[in-house]
Amino acid sequence: MADSLLGGFRALDLTDEKGFVCGKILAALGVETIKIEKPGGDPARGIPPFLHDAPAPEKSLYWFAFNTDKRSITLNLDASQGQDLFRKLVERADFVLESFAPGYMDSLGLGYEALRRVNPRIIMTSITPFGQKGPYAQYKGSELIASAMSGVMVSTGDPDRPPVREGPDSIYFRSSAAAALGTVMAHYYRENTGEGQQVDVSLQEVAASRTSSDLVVWEFDKRLIKRNATIRTVGARATQWLWRCKGGYVFWPYMGGPGGAPANSALSQWIDDDGLENPLNQVTNWDEFDFATLPRAVLDVQQEAIRKFFMNHTKKEIAEEGLKRGINASVVNNPANVLENPQLEARSYWVELEHSELGVTLTYPKYFFLNNQTENFIRRRAPLIGEDNDDIYANELGLSSTEMVALKEAGVI
Amino acid sequence: MRRVSGSMEKQALAGVKVLDFGWALVGSLTSKQLADHGAQVVRVESITRIDLTRTNRMVSMSSATNPDDKPWFTHLNTSKYGIAVNLKHPRAREVIDRLIRWADVVNANMVPGTLGRLGFGYEYIRSIKPDIIMAEGSAYGQTGPMARKWGVDGTGAALSGYLDLTGWPDRGPVGPNVPYGDVVLPFFIAAAIVSALDYKRRTGKGQYIDGSMFDVCAHQITPALLDWEANEHLQTRNGNRIAYAAPHGVFPCRGDDRWCAIGVFTDNEWEAFCHVIEDPSWTREPRFATLKSRKENEDALEELVAEWTKQHSAEEVMQIMQAAGVPAGVVQTMQDLLEHDPQLKEREFLVPLEHPVIGVFGHPTPPYKLLKTKAQVRTSPCLGEHTEYVCTQLLGMSDEEFVELFRQELFK
Repeated sequence: MADSLLGGFRALDLTDEKGFVCGKILAALGVETIKIEKPGGDPARGIPPFLHDAPAPEKSLYWFAFNTDKRSITLNLDASQGQDLFRKLVERADFVLESFAPGYMDSLGLGYEALRRVNPRIIMTSITPFGQKGPYAQYKGSELIASAMSGVMVSTGDPDRPPVREGPDSIYFRSSAAAALGTVMAHYYRENTGEGQQVDVSLQEVAASRTSSDLVVWEFDKRLIKRNATIRTVGARATQWLWRCKGGYVFWPYMGGPGGAPANSALSQWIDDDGLENPLNQVTNWDEFDFATLPRAVLDVQQEAIRKFFMNHTKKEIAEEGLKRGINASVVNNPANVLENPQLEARSYWVELEHSELGVTLTYPKYFFLNNQTENFIRRRAPLIGEDNDDIYANELGLSSTEMVALKEAGVI
Repeated sequence: MRRVSGSMEKQALAGVKVLDFGWALVGSLTSKQLADHGAQVVRVESITRIDLTRTNRMVSMSSATNPDDKPWFTHLNTSKYGIAVNLKHPRAREVIDRLIRWADVVNANMVPGTLGRLGFGYEYIRSIKPDIIMAEGSAYGQTGPMARKWGVDGTGAALSGYLDLTGWPDRGPVGPNVPYGDVVLPFFIAAAIVSALDYKRRTGKGQYIDGSMFDVCAHQITPALLDWEANEHLQTRNGNRIAYAAPHGVFPCRGDDRWCAIGVFTDNEWEAFCHVIEDPSWTREPRFATLKSRKENEDALEELVAEWTKQHSAEEVMQIMQAAGVPAGVVQTMQDLLEHDPQLKEREFLVPLEHPVIGVFGHPTPPYKLLKTKAQVRTSPCLGEHTEYVCTQLLGMSDEEFVELFRQELFK
């Protein structure tokens, strides 16, 4: 086995889309991660988009994206034989990842307390909409619901439209990262003490933990910050953070104090060089530039000049010339732009993974972070349904071919 | 009032020592995860290089002059020890070298190259402590043409495609008022650090970890990347709609700017949804019979759903839907989170703790709960609060030496 941070450990991954990325991260860290799917395949294999727009369980690009490096076996946990097999697998595993409704695993006799008796070292990480206990524990959730209930959505969107969710499944992604962090912390403790435990992750709470800066504004001043499109309020004054440019958009947070000073003075210089009207050049000391003391009318005039400036330049000019000048602007990339980005290219961010059954090779992100001791790389496409059944059930658990056939016929595997 | 949440039970990272050059959001949140779980984190700060969250005056009690009256800073820096050391002072190494020897982990997130210029880059640190684990977070990573560029939260969001996908199809991109990139990278770096601690336990080897916001954020849009590569579909903003659920949106409710999100994924959920809104005749029309047909007639569907939701409070809509097994949730405000949400309270999302300058207010606990080794949260340090304790108690400096360095104005 190639040297990796957590090589030699094994996770059983029962999650749906809420928790896919947790297992993906552990797999990238070197944990052998076995996706356990219902016979016939995980229902989340029905999530679009699909390869060549052909809906099929083995062609979900969403499923591909977040299940790289995992192995797959099929197992029906509702069947008692399936539960027995699962307990055998738990004896040989270090982690169980799951995202069922709280209480479901208990109802199968496979809750944490039951699994602990099988393997006291087991770490069970549960990723659910609202957490294991409490008045909303049985509420159903999703990315959209978590966005609403967490307070993230209330400040997202245009003022004249309903609040809007983030485009990608950002809450699933970050909750899975939080779950992976909790899991490796529990692992560190387990390796020091021999004791496993359960890690309880709530999508709502993980998302809500992003709202600190808005929370304190309510707690201390009883003010609510509302959705305001591209204007952001982080500090004394709402300022523009996203601007339209020629053929696209650019992220450029107008910030005061020493934090914003280098970018502000570089931008002001560029506006001068363009020969545009430039109210920014009346600021003499950007380090001391403070929105708290800036009259509203002056801010409006400044932002109007900045707006005109950005409309004067393309994304490409802002990316290239802006980089030289140090204006700290970031163009709003679309997915195609991301794949061509020179910074990611320079970091060898991409890896080609072959889907030989489908006759395609697709480009994926290769790593979550880099280090100088091990290679925590994504190396293998997401598994086919039950791809590793033979290896796990026959070679490892020692089931005979007759037993395998019988289990298959009984709908257990 | 309590100064520490929870009782003094065992913690997952007890015994781990962290020298923390982290600041702003990424660095602060990385070491917070470790500190809240029992690692001893010594955060090095300086009034000569002040953290932006110690100057941000987002609430009226925060002054222009006092670095210790900023509740946002506290949210990001619970459970740490704080010392003040001017890293540009000629005698800074007399303290920092000892901290390096003391530490298992060094956490930092200055613009790449900065810590090296200050004399405390990885090569130097490793020369003092060969098995150190050092992690640096940044906007773009430590290598590549953009490595040394400055970036903030939205930098990663914009570059990674996240922003382009957020908003309405007929309007420009939007982002939340709360962070995205700055709050996701710390979980990855902290997970890398803890994994590296376990690797060191097994191999004796330390390492250097390079975490980039751009790298991490781009992972989120992998399905859209694959859709472009494989199908040449360039995904863009789509409001609240997704391809595999309908209705799936945010609907107006009784009251001023009140909303409830509803997502109907399965046929069972659709039937339950129709039932709880009392089966109006439109729900039986063929144009809404299947997911496919509902997707095709989504504008009309959303209008009809809104007619119903408008008659109810957002809380009623959520409760009625959830009682029937339909995913729904109020678009909660910060007031709702703090005052009306029994679930967040149950999870101790915020615990009231006393801060010496700010007084009692809610301190965030980590949102992932290790049930056997619970996180324990202390308030954040005032600037330089633990300088003497750290120097004399943790590092074993003599009182004479401490006073001498103090007189030399090192601790600023």
